[in-house]
Amino acid sequence: MNQSNINTQKANKYDAIVIGSGMTGGIAAKELTQKGLKVLMLERGREIKHPEDYETANKAPWEFEHRGKVPINSAEEYWSNNRFGTLANEEAGAFFTNDKQNPFIEKRPFDWIRAYHTGGKSMHWGRQTYRWGQHDFEANAKEGVGIDWPIRYQDIAPWYSYIEKFVGVSGQKEGWDIIPDSDFLPPMAMLPPEIHFKDAVKKKLNRKVTIGRIANLSQAQPIHTALGRASCQYRNKCARGCPHGGYYSSMAGAIPAAAQTKRLTIRHNAIAESLIYDEKKQKATGVRVIDQVDKTVTDYFAKIIFVTAGAMNSAALMLNSKSSRFPNGFGNDSEQLGRNVMDHHLGSGATATVEGFEDDYYFGSRPTGLYIPRFRNWEGDKRKDYLRGFGYQGGASRSSWNRGVGMDGFGAEFKKSLTEPGGWTLGFGGFGEILPDPNNRIYLDPQKKDQWGIPMIVFDAAFSENDLAMRRDIMVAGAEMLEAAGFKNITTYNRETHMGLGIHEMGTARMGHDPKTSVLNKYNQVHACKNVFVTDGACMVSASCVNPSLTYMALTARAADYAVGELKKRNL
Amino acid sequence: MHRREALAKVSLLLGGALSGPTLMALGRLGNPATAATLRDKLNLSAQQKQIIAEVAEMIIPRTDTVGAKDVGVPAFIEMMINDCYYSPEHRSFMAGVTELEGLKFLQMSAAQKTDTLKQIEQKTKEQMKAYNAQTIKFGDNQDLEAMNAVKLGLPFWRLIKELTLLGYYTSEGGMKASFEYVPSPGKLELTKLKPGQKTIVY
Repeated sequence: MNQSNINTQKANKYDAIVIGSGMTGGIAAKELTQKGLKVLMLERGREIKHPEDYETANKAPWEFEHRGKVPINSAEEYWSNNRFGTLANEEAGAFFTNDKQNPFIEKRPFDWIRAYHTGGKSMHWGRQTYRWGQHDFEANAKEGVGIDWPIRYQDIAPWYSYIEKFVGVSGQKEGWDIIPDSDFLPPMAMLPPEIHFKDAVKKKLNRKVTIGRIANLSQAQPIHTALGRASCQYRNKCARGCPHGGYYSSMAGAIPAAAQTKRLTIRHNAIAESLIYDEKKQKATGVRVIDQVDKTVTDYFAKIIFVTAGAMNSAALMLNSKSSRFPNGFGNDSEQLGRNVMDHHLGSGATATVEGFEDDYYFGSRPTGLYIPRFRNWEGDKRKDYLRGFGYQGGASRSSWNRGVGMDGFGAEFKKSLTEPGGWTLGFGGFGEILPDPNNRIYLDPQKKDQWGIPMIVFDAAFSENDLAMRRDIMVAGAEMLEAAGFKNITTYNRETHMGLGIHEMGTARMGHDPKTSVLNKYNQVHACKNVFVTDGACMVSASCVNPSLTYMALTARAADYAVGELKKRNL
Repeated sequence: MHRREALAKVSLLLGGALSGPTLMALGRLGNPATAATLRDKLNLSAQQKQIIAEVAEMIIPRTDTVGAKDVGVPAFIEMMINDCYYSPEHRSFMAGVTELEGLKFLQMSAAQKTDTLKQIEQKTKEQMKAYNAQTIKFGDNQDLEAMNAVKLGLPFWRLIKELTLLGYYTSEGGMKASFEYVPSPGKLELTKLKPGQKTIVY
């Protein structure tokens, strides 16, 4: 790299740099600007303006040429997105990353699904939102798996509450330890077959069922309307981007909140190439950035840096940040950077048809379903074949015209019959906890580079026997519940998926008490370089089985609070 | 585990999802390098296009509401086969079209046409069994077998029926004539079905 071409002007100086504009980058920028810091947010992808750039949001079904199916051309461009599903369809495909143009290397198969644009994956996240319980923070230590979390539930609980109020989480208060209640907006309605199911499995199997806790505004509060967000319209087209801000995203929530302070600068097309380390000061002084369009190189400087680029890219950035102090990657004294890749495994579950409830129907498309919290290895329900457990997500609905595809018949009567709602089905799939394993890892290819000259990421991770045993049980336990409810035509499934498909990548720069075995301390601060914080999924020490974004956001707000405190005390 | 095998299992295990086999057909690319050799383009004669249109119209005829031809389903089917399906489905689709051509389908009486399609529908059940059976063999980790099995595409009737229903019920004319289209419900309510109530679509 020709040093004379690098723009290193003083104008590039900020109080803080936040790398990434997604779920955690958004919260980091909001918290730091609201606490008075001048913040530069770097986003490697293009700009998407909320809400005017949600180009498909109000399109009718017939305006999509392939009506939800993925043309071969897109499937090949978006091969990782599309391997097990239809993410690259015309509704939301523009908000996923083209895999051909942004290749990665699979030593073992990994579904790396990315969103390189403003807001990142917060654009089309699942929005299911659950607190971790105390048991999640204690499990590693109790079972001798990986390393212990350096925090406990009480450390994060107030930050959960803080984030929940800002984000807006609809759900039912239940008082369960397995998924502690959030500060909820009103719950969405359960459908009659779901209520029947809930009662039956409670009575016969003593398992819990609740309405899915979801980051959609069932009733917008002043904290939401102040940012221009409105209540959910029950269109259930969230993945296209919501013109109403009805679900939480970085674009609808955190970024506007940060922008209101007038202390936020966002630079798009800005790929963080490396962290700049000053050997004398023993601090990171900035970030080297490559423009993804014109490939110019610019150095930006700040007192503190928040690395929130997504677990895989955050770890890759740090691995690519080498200095004489950190020859193996930034803060990587423990050699744990890039290791312990975790996700949630999904794609196994059960479905059934429901007899009765012929008169029951619904108006509006509910953006959530049922949630069945973990019951395995909890209280009396111990398993010999695997550790930890899984939750189920699913729900009931009446079938639509597409039931006709598998039915006999054609012609006038057939056509007419398909205009009326069909029978009910109820089904759900498991989300299973994956254990940390140092051999599940990413690393940088020593030779191959991407079009910006940055080393390509190699994925080397796979499910373990623990995961596979759990997946089998997900089918069995699911069928058992459907049977308990008296449902018919029970079908179980267990798709051969890969790690990554859960799009809950985490663990590549874990927190811990001991710098010898972890990258970050209990405030998400790099052990060996105190002015760098990593608060996305990379920091996770274990995975729980609940959707992770709430926990990432709470940890980010907590770390930002600590960072500003330390700055004020002149410790950074 | 080869990606192809993994993909093949997906459809098998989708459990009740109606378009499972089609998902598999769509997803058969697996490795992008091998996918290029599986690409194809339909080359239909005027008569073959007429056959496709006639079958689509028999699946969804014009009644007191618009039919398949009224909303452009025949062209939609051709476009979808070209854009979304690999050569095995091109072959199985064309096998169905040429079979009807050989039977002089267009010259048949209405009753004969209906009987012919009913027979094809019954025959398709056997073909679907064979189609699903090959997906099981995929999982046996025998690549040669898997490659041979790839030659068997989703049967003609299954393809044309699914694409006719998709093309019709998601077209503006078909959707508005068949359902209550509510793009922005604004609320979620539990309701009771009224006699003859149409499906609500969003």
